[in-house]
Amino acid sequence: MNMLTVQDLRKSFGNMEAVKGVNFSVEKGESYGLLGPNGAGKSTTINMITGLFPPTSGEIQIKDINVIKNPKQAQKWIGVVPQEIALYQSMSARENLKFWGRMYDLSGSELEKSVDQVLEIIGLTERAKDKVETFSGGMKRRVNIGAAILHKPELLIMDEPTVGIDPQSRNHILETVKRLNGEGMTIIYTSHYMEEVEYLCERIGIVDHGQLIASGTLSELRETIGDHSKIILSIDKDSSNLDGLAQSLTSLFSEKDIQIQDHQVMVFHKEPQLILTDFIQSVAKSGTKITSVDIVEPNLESVFLHLTGRKLRD
Amino acid sequence: MRKIWTILTLQLKEFFKSPGVLVLMFVMPVLFSGIFGGMTMNSEQNKPVVNVVLNDTEISGQILNLLTKEHHYEWKKATRQQAEKNVAAQDVAAAVVIPDDIGERILASEPLLDIIVQRKSETYLALSAHLEGTAGLVLRSYQATSKLEADAFPKVLETIANNKGVTVEKQTIQKETKTNVEASLLFVGFAIMFMMFGLSGAASAILEERMGGTWGRLMVSPASKLQIILGYLLAYFFMGWIQFAVLMTTMNLMFATTWGKLTYLIPFVSLVILSVVGFGLMIAGLVKTKQQASAISAVLIVSTCMLGGVYWPIDVVPDIMQKIALGVPQSWAMSGFKEIISGSLHSATLVKDTLALVGFSALFFFIGLRGIKFE
Ligand SMILES: Nc1ncnc2c1ncn2[C@@H]1O[C@H](COP(=O)(O)OP(=O)(O)O)[C@@H](O)[C@H]1O
Ligand SMILES: [Mg+2]
Repeated sequence: MNMLTVQDLRKSFGNMEAVKGVNFSVEKGESYGLLGPNGAGKSTTINMITGLFPPTSGEIQIKDINVIKNPKQAQKWIGVVPQEIALYQSMSARENLKFWGRMYDLSGSELEKSVDQVLEIIGLTERAKDKVETFSGGMKRRVNIGAAILHKPELLIMDEPTVGIDPQSRNHILETVKRLNGEGMTIIYTSHYMEEVEYLCERIGIVDHGQLIASGTLSELRETIGDHSKIILSIDKDSSNLDGLAQSLTSLFSEKDIQIQDHQVMVFHKEPQLILTDFIQSVAKSGTKITSVDIVEPNLESVFLHLTGRKLRD
Repeated sequence: MRKIWTILTLQLKEFFKSPGVLVLMFVMPVLFSGIFGGMTMNSEQNKPVVNVVLNDTEISGQILNLLTKEHHYEWKKATRQQAEKNVAAQDVAAAVVIPDDIGERILASEPLLDIIVQRKSETYLALSAHLEGTAGLVLRSYQATSKLEADAFPKVLETIANNKGVTVEKQTIQKETKTNVEASLLFVGFAIMFMMFGLSGAASAILEERMGGTWGRLMVSPASKLQIILGYLLAYFFMGWIQFAVLMTTMNLMFATTWGKLTYLIPFVSLVILSVVGFGLMIAGLVKTKQQASAISAVLIVSTCMLGGVYWPIDVVPDIMQKIALGVPQSWAMSGFKEIISGSLHSATLVKDTLALVGFSALFFFIGLRGIKFE
């Protein structure tokens, strides 16, 4: 059964079309990532799915509920981690968690138990009584997530939950999300960090300019760039004879797999180990001095580059 | 219901936690009504001095007793010469002469008491009314005792003077309650003014919550929009009532201030607070940021409070201003409070005040609820 189905979703703010017809679905128990640069339309998409504002057009269904017609019904099942730290800063972590728990119909001992559990999960049991405003960015982010999982949602929707925090908190959050997913919670995770979605998500949608430009599992996405690794030789430019170099390389590889820049010579290939020696030798023969060698496995960054001609983060 | 309560208590806690709010809601009204009230108090303490010229007959003595029943003047004996000099130098407001030939004047139906003033000021008008009253009293007492023994006349005067002479004493009581009502009204007025500041500040915190994300998070929780907005509005209503109840009770305990019949006061205060909540909501709905809200509300609150008779009674301003005052809710609130606190409870006035406030509240809520963005 699909946990979430999104059909031809569109949203305009005035003349600006922020989301331009997005389709995807997420199965129960799956973890789905939306990867895209800032301003791609991730938050706008998420905010429509959570029922914050209605789409200009399109359909959203969570389980068997039409979110646009019946948002309050669907909202009981979902936990939302907004992109901002949506907490009452002058209240303690515990007070915040209790407040948000009550908004999700928890009360009494059930609420207490669930708050204690969540404090444990986010690693803030010791600081529970401290005001949120005294917390570091990472700790605030953790409470922000904690407030979304109190009622054990079936679907957890997270909008860039790790923006601007220290690596330690970030790892803690990623592990927590991975564990929740392992326990059966369906996850939707947006980010502009490809490592995060690579680590967390079984399926990934790449968003750019309000459109879903590619989607699939990590290996499916790699296929779109032919699953080619990249061998990068850094060279000493003064010693190089670039024309001669290009000539000797075209005798070994097809022209579209070669890139020569000022300080770098790159070759794309499915099995870099097999051609590495030949590649280095032919460069060396042209009299070019090699300063370093690097092999880059195909990743989402290169997929994005391949699809848009731009880097994920500028 | 539980969600409404949860939101309400959170908002209340956040609100009263701030020391600034406590000063604004509780200290400022006391301070302001102290300052503005003190100005009228002072002018009362400087009672006008009136010289009395009299001989040492018993009748003169009793007439003096009658005169001094009026506490709004300071009565000082003087010789005729001194008195005339004092009046000329404006050291005293006036001088009253109890003539030696008072018996003959009674028989001849001439004015009993002479008054010496420099010009016919307001003091003169008020004083002469008092003198006429006293003279009338003396005359009637004389007529009543004319057929009796010779010393019956001064005895009757003495009785009147000692036994809370009806007319005079009654006047004094009325005057005193009147000034009390004015002081209470001033206090209520400033309580309302600072409540307007406090509550419009609280309501515009919604704008900050929208930026901060907690508003959005509430919207995507299973709590309905109705529950959420009710939680906020009830919180503001409670904030207003807490301020009012604390201030009124304190004044009652410390200065024995009375606030009129509670059966009238409580519903009317509720209505006034409702319109203040509406006002705050309207401001929050009309602007984009909390800074804009506080700038606009400061201007609106101070100007409408001045127009509406919070700083001074509305009857002292020119007619045209009194007409303009009808356009601001404070004038209706103050008018209603006057009826309730003075105890006159004139029902036609109260009904009008109530209807006007209901109208203003409805307008404010309409504008406010349309302006608030639920996303
Ligand atoms: N409320 C809004 N009003 C106008 N434009 C908006 C609004 N929200 C987002 N946008 C615009 O829509 C585009 C997508 O924004 P967003 O969904 O926040 O991107 P992302 O979350 O991927 O960074 C951006 O160009 C942004 O400026
Ligand atoms: Mg975003």
